Amino acid sequence: MAMEMSAEGLDGIGEMLGALEEQAEGVAARGLYEGAGIMASAIVQAAQGIQTEKFQGKRDSRKPSPEEKEIVLGAAVGIAKFEKNGSEVNTSVGYQNAGYAELAGKMVAVPKVVNAINSGTSFMKKQPFVRKARTKATAKATAAIRQSIEAAFDEIGRKYQGST
Amino acid sequence: MPSEYEALVAALKLTDIPFAENAWKTRPEGVYGVVSLEMEDGDLIGDGRKVDRSWEGSVDVFFLRIAQRDEMMNTVEEILDEICGGSWELNSFTHEQAAGLFHIEWVFRVMDDAEDQE
Repeated sequence: MAMEMSAEGLDGIGEMLGALEEQAEGVAARGLYEGAGIMASAIVQAAQGIQTEKFQGKRDSRKPSPEEKEIVLGAAVGIAKFEKNGSEVNTSVGYQNAGYAELAGKMVAVPKVVNAINSGTSFMKKQPFVRKARTKATAKATAAIRQSIEAAFDEIGRKYQGST
Repeated sequence: MPSEYEALVAALKLTDIPFAENAWKTRPEGVYGVVSLEMEDGDLIGDGRKVDRSWEGSVDVFFLRIAQRDEMMNTVEEILDEICGGSWELNSFTHEQAAGLFHIEWVFRVMDDAEDQE
């Protein structure tokens, strides 16, 4: 003997799922923006810890100069244009578009100064402040993204609750 | 010291690139490499414990001729693949005009052998 089963309110659920699909991209982008903001703040904070030394004539090695640090501190940490890749939304956070600044009477590319400090050179030991910021802030940024997405989905759920 | 890191250092030291560990040599002449473990990584869980504890480090290679690039990359990346699996990335490739050196930097993560810590 077969038992009959029925579920009510599927029309409402269908509408809600449709809304979720429709708004998923925007929801993901808002979450990503929040997470990227946390990452950018962490990089700015980590840059404060760059160790410097004043120029002392020609030497085999040196730390970044206070002027180089000023360039990094004065530069904007940017959030790149969001890129859609299937169901993903990606971005990058950093100094890629920070432009140029004056150093000892010459114009230098800010990303180049950042890279020299962060990755080191043959004459300057690396101070990986961008990577340290990433390591420190990843969990917090991920949580913010998750929270933002969950809040948006809750809101959509509440909107359609009455129709289920 | 994580055993994966020790294996990485040992493998790099077996290559033709003179590698130094946790060191930094100024103005390297010709080909030169540096490997170091830099910071603790890992996810935090609610009660403050760390799970999946790992360490992040970097491998740097300096060399003089662009023609050496592929050889350097193949040598290092083969070892990173073998020891770190997918947990590495090419972080930067630059040319220092003043010193006339090319510089490649890779960042890797290795798992900590220790148990979860409070």
